[in-house]
Amino acid sequence: MKIFQVALGILAAIGGFVDIGDLVFNVSAGATFGYQLLWVIVIGVVGIIVYSEMCGRVAAVSGKAVFDAVRERLGFKVGLVALISAQVVNLMTLTAEIGGVAICLQLLSGLSYRWMIFVAGVVFAIVVWVTPFDWIERVFGYGGLCMLVFAVAAVKLHPSWGAVAHGFVPHMNTQSPLLYAYFAVGLLGAAMTPYEVYFYSSGGVEERWGPKDLGLNRVNAQIGYGLGGLLSFSLMIVGGALFLDKGVQPEFLGSIALGVEVPLGQIGLLLALVGILFAVGGASIDTLFSGAYNLAQFLGWEWGRYRHPRGAPRFTATWIVLLVLALGAVMTGVDPVQLTEYAVIFSAVALPLTYIPIFLVANDRAYMREYTNGRLGNVLGLVYLVVIMLIALTAVPLMILTNVGQN
Amino acid sequence: MDVADSSRCVAVLALLAVVVAGCNGGTVDKHALKRDAEKVGSLASEGELLANDVSKGASTEYFARVHAKELSQASADLADALGKRPTSPGITPDVRRLSRLAGKVSMQLEQLHLHPTDRQLAQSLEQPLKHDADAADRLAK
Repeated sequence: MKIFQVALGILAAIGGFVDIGDLVFNVSAGATFGYQLLWVIVIGVVGIIVYSEMCGRVAAVSGKAVFDAVRERLGFKVGLVALISAQVVNLMTLTAEIGGVAICLQLLSGLSYRWMIFVAGVVFAIVVWVTPFDWIERVFGYGGLCMLVFAVAAVKLHPSWGAVAHGFVPHMNTQSPLLYAYFAVGLLGAAMTPYEVYFYSSGGVEERWGPKDLGLNRVNAQIGYGLGGLLSFSLMIVGGALFLDKGVQPEFLGSIALGVEVPLGQIGLLLALVGILFAVGGASIDTLFSGAYNLAQFLGWEWGRYRHPRGAPRFTATWIVLLVLALGAVMTGVDPVQLTEYAVIFSAVALPLTYIPIFLVANDRAYMREYTNGRLGNVLGLVYLVVIMLIALTAVPLMILTNVGQN
Repeated sequence: MDVADSSRCVAVLALLAVVVAGCNGGTVDKHALKRDAEKVGSLASEGELLANDVSKGASTEYFARVHAKELSQASADLADALGKRPTSPGITPDVRRLSRLAGKVSMQLEQLHLHPTDRQLAQSLEQPLKHDADAADRLAK
């Protein structure tokens, strides 16, 4: 029974791994550089495994979610800067995700985009309000498994497997080094999206994980994110195999779905659209909750998705306000795909503000007792601290120098 | 500088970065011509892929209609911008040619948007879109 539950959790994690940031950056990177950046996905996936395993362990042993640790370690003032940065990025991401859901609904139904934004907003509000969280997680996670059609499409497009294998060897592109670096930073930012970690660690606290659940935490993080990373490979391979030679720069969600329609036809297209709908829809709900978790944890409010909305009124009010703000923003006509690029880049900038406190707590014996980072955990934690600082410092300059990846 | 000041500073810098990075207007120079020609080529190539799928019955009515409109609108926006913006000396004819090409691509994709289930029409659009993509590539070089 336990193995069955773990398997279901892993399936949901795979289906829920990809969000709009992964879709946009992986396919665009493939369309621009072929398979050359596959190695960056590996670094990003290992990074999110290291980060989320640490957060899950801290949650299980100390009962602290990310923003509890941030406030304790950074103090109120600096913690407030971390909170504001996280909330701004969260709201940008949520807006982009809701826009993505509306585009998907439009591509499936042919109805007006604005109506679909309205429908998405109403459906999210109802689903979050009335549906037990376990069901939300399962339905969106399993629906997101339709994204596996991208793996089939990648094989069906007959990429040069030698070139694919070469893409896993780290190297630099000398012809367009800045653009290459911009996509590398974007791919790392998309793989290590902070809201996923806030959500994961808060979930651990809510589900009352204890030291006995550390094995489950490790398996969820390593296998769930690891296999989810396969979807990122598939997206990049589709971009490289189909769009690179034709000079197509995929600027729309429809372009990404077209990448499956060409090799697999109508059925492939419908599976891709349904998969994107559930994956991005699930990510919207995760982002929505993350925003509410962050604020509630920082200010010491009652919080929790397992509580009835009236049991944690300020937490509930926060996610409602965030949903309304995001719907208002997407109604202005902002392009979700462009907004995604900004959200991913700014999330890379904000990443150290939450990574550093978690890394410190994970090494603090007063909190973690015998469950502090081991030697490997510390080596990986330090390596990723350097990686995260590097992408945080270079993300905005690269965005400006490459005109958001256009040059 | 206190925390509120540094937060304001970060917000202003972020806004500035967005504005600078998103800035797309001004004079069309050789670099912008190349970038816009690549965009027109990309839209035409993607339109060709879509038209090919529609001609084989491999797409759905709604997807073809909506996606063709997105591509058509993007191409029309480029045609409009390239037709109006000032240009660097010596490249005006190429910029205006690209504007006309973008307008043509937009009209072809508009046909696909209006008739997303017409397989014959889709087939007849494939070659012109391919030629337009090639023409845009030549302008990009």
